[in-house]
Amino acid sequence: MDIVTDLKARAKPWPRGNRFEDFAVGRVFRHHWGRTLTVADNTQFVTLTLHYNPLYTNADYARAHGHADLVVCPLLVFNTVFGLTVEDLSEGGGPFLGVDKLTYHRPVIVGETVYAESQVIAARETDSRPDYGIVTWHTKGFCEKGDLVIDFQRTNLVRKRK
Amino acid sequence: MSNISSRTSPDNYFENFAVGQVIAHARGKTVTEMDNVLITNMVMNTAQGHFNEHLMQKSSGIAGFDTRIVFGGINFSMVIGLAAQDTGEQVLQELGMDKIRLKTPVHHGDTLYAFTEVLEKKDADRADAGIVRFKHYGINQHDKLVYEGERTVLMKRRNAWGSR
Repeated sequence: MDIVTDLKARAKPWPRGNRFEDFAVGRVFRHHWGRTLTVADNTQFVTLTLHYNPLYTNADYARAHGHADLVVCPLLVFNTVFGLTVEDLSEGGGPFLGVDKLTYHRPVIVGETVYAESQVIAARETDSRPDYGIVTWHTKGFCEKGDLVIDFQRTNLVRKRK
Repeated sequence: MSNISSRTSPDNYFENFAVGQVIAHARGKTVTEMDNVLITNMVMNTAQGHFNEHLMQKSSGIAGFDTRIVFGGINFSMVIGLAAQDTGEQVLQELGMDKIRLKTPVHHGDTLYAFTEVLEKKDADRADAGIVRFKHYGINQHDKLVYEGERTVLMKRRNAWGSR
């Protein structure tokens, strides 16, 4: 038996992600890792998305507006907090449908670290897609001192286990 | 820093916007594999549908989902970015977003264009800025609506910031 055939015969999958049945309303997830938002992250994100506000790309300009350093583009804060939630909430499959009631509670400065936490606020069946349900989570993003920097509600179609 | 106002446009302050105004923004952007995979991985979004082409080709069989799709957060970040020189250059603070709806999947090679409607203007709790609520729309190269959503910002007033 060659090495690959042998490996595939012996290996057991180590699965990641949750399914519709895992999302009881009220369940709380404290998501993994956290992420320090660096100057490199911010500059790359802002330039690739063409988000031309110099608060995010000119430290001299940001300081002239009273900030200690470059401001992290709020959309990067959103995408990073969202990214940290994906394994627990949506990696199991199903399209991302929308976001409601998003609030940025304060500017984030480069070098700060964000963490994410979510709670299931709605989970329902849908007649049009019997193999999926629709789940809404309330996600909060915190900085290292525990202060809330962003919160939002996100809704996805979520695949069922069976 | 001197001449703050010389670093940005002269015509996109709070006073320049009118409720009901609709803007077609100047530039579009073709969303590439570089944009999607780089940003998806950078923000540690672990959903393989954005970065495993082999999995998508073999597992889905659903038209539009048989190749990698661009992470939706990138789709509307890109559209807001395309609208940002006009509606974000004078922003002191982004306040929030609401009613974001993703209508059509985006694939590598699709081109996005941005449109904006001004929904509301109001005073802020500081005299040098006002609050503007925009509705942004992103469309693709086939004129299909990809994204719509509201965005609320704290924006500089020209009478306070225009000659600083």
